[in-house]
Amino acid sequence: MRILIVEDEPTLQAQLAEGLGAAGYAVDTAGNGVDGHSQGDTEPYDAVVLDLGLPQMDGITVLRKWRTAGRTMPVLILTARDGWHEKVAGIDAGADDYLTKPFHMEELLARLRALIRRAGGHASAELCCGPLTLDTRNQRATVDGQALTLTSHEYRVLAYLMHHRDQVVSRSDLVEHIYAQDFDRDSNTVEVFIARLRKKLPPGLIETVRGLGYRLTAPQ
Amino acid sequence: MKHLASHGLQKSLRLRLLAGTLFWIAASIIAAGWGLGNLFQRHVEAQFHAELKTHLDQLTAQLTLDDKGLPTLALPLSDPRLSRPYSGCYWQIDEIKADASAASGLLRSRSLWDHVLAVPPDTPANGEIHQHRIVGPEGKALGMVERSVRIDDTPDGKPRSYRLIAAADESLMTEPVASFSGALWLALVVLGIGLVLAALVQVFVGLAPLRKLHAALGKVRSGETPQLDGDFPAEIMPLVDEFNTVLAQNAEVVERARTQAGNLAHALKTPLSVLANAATSANPQQNELARLVVDQVDTARKQVDYHLTRAQAAATTRMPGTRTPLLPIIDGLVRAMQRIHAERALELRVQPMPETLAFRGDAHDLQEMLGNLLDNACKWASHRVEINAASNGDQLLITFDDDGQGLAAEQRESVIQRGVRADEKVSGSGLGLAIVADLTQMYGGGVVLQDSPLGGLRVVLTLPGLTRPAPARP
Repeated sequence: MRILIVEDEPTLQAQLAEGLGAAGYAVDTAGNGVDGHSQGDTEPYDAVVLDLGLPQMDGITVLRKWRTAGRTMPVLILTARDGWHEKVAGIDAGADDYLTKPFHMEELLARLRALIRRAGGHASAELCCGPLTLDTRNQRATVDGQALTLTSHEYRVLAYLMHHRDQVVSRSDLVEHIYAQDFDRDSNTVEVFIARLRKKLPPGLIETVRGLGYRLTAPQ
Repeated sequence: MKHLASHGLQKSLRLRLLAGTLFWIAASIIAAGWGLGNLFQRHVEAQFHAELKTHLDQLTAQLTLDDKGLPTLALPLSDPRLSRPYSGCYWQIDEIKADASAASGLLRSRSLWDHVLAVPPDTPANGEIHQHRIVGPEGKALGMVERSVRIDDTPDGKPRSYRLIAAADESLMTEPVASFSGALWLALVVLGIGLVLAALVQVFVGLAPLRKLHAALGKVRSGETPQLDGDFPAEIMPLVDEFNTVLAQNAEVVERARTQAGNLAHALKTPLSVLANAATSANPQQNELARLVVDQVDTARKQVDYHLTRAQAAATTRMPGTRTPLLPIIDGLVRAMQRIHAERALELRVQPMPETLAFRGDAHDLQEMLGNLLDNACKWASHRVEINAASNGDQLLITFDDDGQGLAAEQRESVIQRGVRADEKVSGSGLGLAIVADLTQMYGGGVVLQDSPLGGLRVVLTLPGLTRPAPARP
């Protein structure tokens, strides 16, 4: 799961990046509205945390431009102003949720999880696929109740596949959603992660669809 | 009463203008009537006496003595009235004896018939003409002129003196004057009524723009229009323009203050966020400190929000000319709530309401009040929230119902109380009602908590409203 943080205050941006990184997300950051907009417009993010008070282009404008261009990723807006006026304006511009500053990191994470889940059409924080269960609240994967030990990249690959279960996910899709932008990407490593996951998971859960990518499905 | 009248004159421009105009109209008409009447009367009098003198002159010219020395007329006088009995025109010749006694009625006009004019004893000097008023036949008042004539050339050689009298009924003079006066005053009264009507029309038409200005100001005050609208005469237009400029400046000041307040909030809250995040991710051994920081940051945030909202409302509640349609605000909030509480899949129902319902006040303040109440209802509801709005005269009644747990009567009391004594409490209670109670109080409205027919809490919000639609903008 890859998240974009658009926040101009460097310390808060760093804290957000750290908190989201620790929660198992690949995180990109932008420090102003123009950069934030172009990143969100070109990269496939699973969610965006967008501050409203941004230099160069304000958050509402950024959001409206994305929505006009057909970008549908869930967006959580951060606002310093507590007024309903601002909240309604944000939501009418296409935001999915809002959080008022100062906020608790746990609350932000919970809201983000809910947004990503809702975007994938999942009702619960626990994603299931046959014997495999992934709890997005604490990033724990279990098979028949047995906890799996996963590295952060393995977790991201698994989480993305779980959010898109029964769909074919291409290798480049995976690369785009598990790495932050400035990461030195190598699509071959995806194969390595898949191979490691297959060893840890019951056989047959991750299929290879030749020429297209991978699919996570519950065994019949 | 006198005090009242003078008070009214001082207060009312219309009364002042009318009183001045009416006074001058009355004065001019009376002066004109009196002057014209006098002029005419003098003219008629002069004509009357001129005619009498003509008769007198004719009489003088025709007077001769016959062989016996008795006065006689050489030719009868020409005016036919002098021969018709009691026609109103008369003449008479008296002889003045040497002892100054008079032999009246020596010769008389035929019109006098058997009457002898009783003339006051008087002897005009030679050539003089005297005027008198006497009582004539049938007791009528007569105007008369007399002159003395001395004839030296007499048959017996003794000079004789005669008094020649020409008289006429005064009604010959007063009747035309009276009828003229009647016609004159009738004409003047008609003229006066016309002038008064013209003055009334002028005052009402002249002052009509002021009445229009008054109506326009009333609309601004009640929030129907944001500024003075309409065409006014060139004399009033500068006033209207100035007033609109002041209104615009007022709105600009409020907008600037609001932006600054927003900037202040932003400037304060971002560091607070950093602080709170730093505290939570701190070393677990400093747990005590971390909790303290988080708590205090939370308190600071609520205080900032509370006082900013109050400060903004304090500025906007005094703004004239603000009017916020209710339905778009409710629709916006419902959209937001559906997104914010998407997880709960609540049924948010807005009961049909007239689109003309409007709040007499600022949109931000209305959004703040309704947003907090609706958010509360959504938080506490299990499945359903209902919103109802209606107008009651000048008031707007907005009701929020939820099907949640509800609130015990004692708790309701304390929730409202806390809103009233804002300074003595930690602002932003769990129900968020404090700011709503404060805002409604500033607007002269109120919040009441009741049992809802849906099973939970009903919040009834009363606000100053407007039901008339805003006039169409050109």
